Amino acid sequence: MAQHVTERDVRDIAEYTRIHLDEDEVKQMTIDLNDIIESLKPITEYDLEGVVPTFHPIGSLSNVMREDVEVPGFTQEEALANAPAKQDDCFLIPSILGEGGDR
Amino acid sequence: MKTMEEVLQDWEAVIGLEIHCELTKLQTKMFCGCKLEFGAEPNTHTCPVCLGMPGALPVPNKGAIENIVLAGLATNCDIEKHTMFYRKGYMYPDMAKNFQTTQGPKAFCMRGWLDLNVDGRGAQERLFWQDLAEGETAENITRTADGYVAHVGITRIHMEEDAGKMVHIGGGEGRITGATHSLVDYNRAGTPLMELVTEPDLRTPEEARLFMQKLRQIFLTLGISDCSMEEGSLRADGNISLRRRGTTEFGTKTEMKNINSFKALHDALAYEICRQAEVLEEGGQIYQETRHWDPSKKHTVVMRVKETADDYRMFPDPDLAPYDLSDEFIERVRGMLPELPDQKAARFAADYGLSAYDARHLVDHRFSADFFEAACAAAGDRAGELAKPLANLTLNDITAYVNANEGIDFATTPLTPERAVQLVSLLAADEISSKQAKEVFAAVLEEDKDPHAIVEERGMKQVSDTGAIEAVINEVLAANPDKVEQYKGGKTGLIGFFVGQCMKAMKGQGNPKLINEMLAKKLG
Amino acid sequence: MSELFEMGIREIQAGLAAKEFSAVEVAQAATDRIEANDFQDGGVNAFLEFTPEMAREAAARIDEQLAAGKTPSEIGPLAGIPMAYKDNMNLLGTRTTCASRMLENYESAYTATCVQRTLDAGAIPLGKLNMDEFAFGSSTETSAFGPTRNPWDLERVPGGSSGGSAAAVAAGFATVTLGSDTGGSIRQPGSFTGTVAVKPTYGVVSRYGIVAFGSSLDQVGPFARSVEDAALALNAISGHDALDCTSQPVDTDFTANLAEGVKGMRIGIVPAFMQAQGLTPEVKDKVAEAAEHMRTMGAELVEVDLPNAQAAMSAYYVLGPCEAFSNLSRFDSVRYGYCEPGHKDLGGQYEASRAKGFGPEARRRIMLGSYLLSAGVYDTYYYPAQQVRTLITQDYTRAYEKCDVILLPSSPRTAFKFGEISDPMSMYLSDMFTVSLNIAGNGGMSVPVGLGVDTNLPIGVQLQSPQFKDENMFRAAAALEQVYGKAPIAPAFARKAGE
Repeated sequence: MAQHVTERDVRDIAEYTRIHLDEDEVKQMTIDLNDIIESLKPITEYDLEGVVPTFHPIGSLSNVMREDVEVPGFTQEEALANAPAKQDDCFLIPSILGEGGDR
Repeated sequence: MKTMEEVLQDWEAVIGLEIHCELTKLQTKMFCGCKLEFGAEPNTHTCPVCLGMPGALPVPNKGAIENIVLAGLATNCDIEKHTMFYRKGYMYPDMAKNFQTTQGPKAFCMRGWLDLNVDGRGAQERLFWQDLAEGETAENITRTADGYVAHVGITRIHMEEDAGKMVHIGGGEGRITGATHSLVDYNRAGTPLMELVTEPDLRTPEEARLFMQKLRQIFLTLGISDCSMEEGSLRADGNISLRRRGTTEFGTKTEMKNINSFKALHDALAYEICRQAEVLEEGGQIYQETRHWDPSKKHTVVMRVKETADDYRMFPDPDLAPYDLSDEFIERVRGMLPELPDQKAARFAADYGLSAYDARHLVDHRFSADFFEAACAAAGDRAGELAKPLANLTLNDITAYVNANEGIDFATTPLTPERAVQLVSLLAADEISSKQAKEVFAAVLEEDKDPHAIVEERGMKQVSDTGAIEAVINEVLAANPDKVEQYKGGKTGLIGFFVGQCMKAMKGQGNPKLINEMLAKKLG
Repeated sequence: MSELFEMGIREIQAGLAAKEFSAVEVAQAATDRIEANDFQDGGVNAFLEFTPEMAREAAARIDEQLAAGKTPSEIGPLAGIPMAYKDNMNLLGTRTTCASRMLENYESAYTATCVQRTLDAGAIPLGKLNMDEFAFGSSTETSAFGPTRNPWDLERVPGGSSGGSAAAVAAGFATVTLGSDTGGSIRQPGSFTGTVAVKPTYGVVSRYGIVAFGSSLDQVGPFARSVEDAALALNAISGHDALDCTSQPVDTDFTANLAEGVKGMRIGIVPAFMQAQGLTPEVKDKVAEAAEHMRTMGAELVEVDLPNAQAAMSAYYVLGPCEAFSNLSRFDSVRYGYCEPGHKDLGGQYEASRAKGFGPEARRRIMLGSYLLSAGVYDTYYYPAQQVRTLITQDYTRAYEKCDVILLPSSPRTAFKFGEISDPMSMYLSDMFTVSLNIAGNGGMSVPVGLGVDTNLPIGVQLQSPQFKDENMFRAAAALEQVYGKAPIAPAFARKAGE
């Protein structure tokens, strides 16, 4: 079977998607992803020359906009209600630059 | 390090700008009905949409789309009718959805331009324009009477949303470096944000500064943003690279992020030109990196090295219907366009006979243009005759005063347009001398009174009554027969003595011009 | 007389109008049944959150209005109807977990439009229903809180991802439930549990408040034990919503032509589907039988072709994961959701929280989507998949020039046993007859047509209709219901003879 992604690729993807995988998981994920990607092959073999893509299955619907009018939203309490950690009415997070936290 | 002037002899700087502008004049955010308000209590203007709660969906603000089309029309852009919003993915805690909703390859506004008038000292940063004859064009510049016009391309202006704000705690001076934790406030998240990208057409820090200034003036005129660089509603990123003069390939560029004043933009680019030249001349290499301008230390430092191109996993946002703007929509927005600064300058020149230079500098600041116009209106029938002195008063005295006094602007100075008209009228009618005019100007500002009242109170009205002047002249001549003899004998320099004696006798209120004329006549 | 739990919408409302029973009694009957049959070991496990208090309060409000002289129809089209909601639908006062550890403690911050519309219509909310984690699956086995059992055979899956919604109706816990369908997640469990299961045209029902999986594919629809109940429920939840840019101004009455019969209707049959690999003989026979019944009732059977259906599976497994990857990036442990404590740096907190919050299938789809959207790969899969969407849409347009509905299987087989299908690729094949529809954005529904001769388990046939012609499939479904009867409650949960 074709190797679409290597374990190294999978590690990169895991880093990008911010999901920690241990070594066994990396191995299994590499196998699974290659299986799935291989099954997507038909899409790469189609003659799609000149076919316009349909990004939105909504017919001719376009230009959907709302008026610039204020609508009540959350109170501060509601906004923070589900926060795993908070401080001074803000969401609290640990050090961004701690480890690979650079933008 | 060499000075920038020295560096630019050998190197050409290639500068492009990315300018972010929040649409602060709108009532609500880009994709939800939350109120736009700067400085509110943290997390008091949020909802499921801008907080990225599970299941929430965006709906674009029509006012924001109108605003960006306005901005595009005002900067000579083509309005792209068929566009889509895209999702630009990156995980960062100030982005509630961990993707930014922005536009893809096609933005609402494409292929625009602005012409910059560069004159005075700023023009000296660019080389060789003096070699051109007036009206002659080379590269993207055209020589004018007192400088040059630079034609600067605008690649695109796209619509997107701003991120939330973070406060970093535990590091020095609120910096992210060394911080042990951070606090996130999503009030700003989802604020409608325009990003304008220029072509790499700018060649000097001054041109970059002028572009930014002109753009700010246009956006202020359009009334779409308060364009406060201090509060971050107008922000500039500058890209800059150097190449040897005479070559055409681009060098490696560095990016200066989030510059928050015109001066900082100029100085950061100027510093970067010198730094890059030094590195290159020592045989070093410029790395593609993001640098931060530290205004207190007057240098740039590396924020982040870009090893590979960012991969944002962009794709069309399935939650947002595509745009298919109609001609009708675009024309309706065009109808909302106010008079733009360039148009205003042309009108000032045509209607009031101002020089192109004066007209341009009057409209450099909306308030000075407004003041000048209000004064002309107050002058009524005499606007044509008083326009030139009113322009001078506005450009020189009032501008200097406003600049020197924090908290005072054209709208709040005691010198109202009406008082300005009084002042220049007094001068034009020779009722006060130009020296007295300065005194009256200062007194108006200090005492908040009409110029007429000040002249009256101080009894400083210039005497132009020929009968009164003649009487004084006669007295002075009679008291100095010897000097009269000498004058008639050829010592015509004595005229100054006679004028001085007359002015002294008239306590400084005589019209010096009249006295001169009449003395000359009398002494034959 | 029927027991309360067996009744359809009209029957309940007639009883309320005649004061034969109160709404509180309706609610009590439903909550008693759920308590008796859902939670204990070996129970159905359809409910992730049970809201008897909320149900009682809603019922009491209905009773107050009835006492004040209002008729049920004046109160609302769903007045007094016990309902429950897939747990990807926000409902204030409940958690919305998506059957994931990630959202185990997430308290709904607001109420989804479609849920609100049922409440405004007088529905009695019984709680939130189990599903595959974030709707990734076809068996409800990926739920972080244990699978739902199929009321027809508790050793088997109810299908998925809306397995809880299907099982709750099949077990007679609720009269109507809502589910969501991204690639077959309503129709396939509808088939596995012998319920009427409707995936309307994309845009008929607002998606606002439904935790997104594939934003261009997701659509909400009802499960019920009769075609009429499903139509009445869809009437209540459909229509334009200013909070969803992709919702459309639909004011169709889906009950309008239920009595018309199929005489004169053109029923499309896709021969290639009937020969598909993996289609079991008993399902194939049932589809043929249903077609024959419709022909007997005066419909015309016509052969139609959907030549690009093969590519639909690939397109679906590109588009779904890409959109899911992006939609699930918001679960980052900052504003809500699972957060592993004790991390000194945000990167560590992100990676641990997302690794532990998401189950294996969610992780797989997120990573697949991220790969497929990456630079250089986008043009190989994502862009062609959107081009294939165009071809599939055109296929349908051409097919519907020749027919009014298309008849095909809902699922290639009947319900399978827990653990029977373990590798992802085989599981994905459960969707082979359903995904094309989501890609085109058309409507489709599964209608029960009795039990399979080999497995003795429920089989549903799928009726599909053109965009915004959902009334067509309702009309055909009502005709099939004339033949096969309304969907029965699964025998183990039905009233025993003599009770």
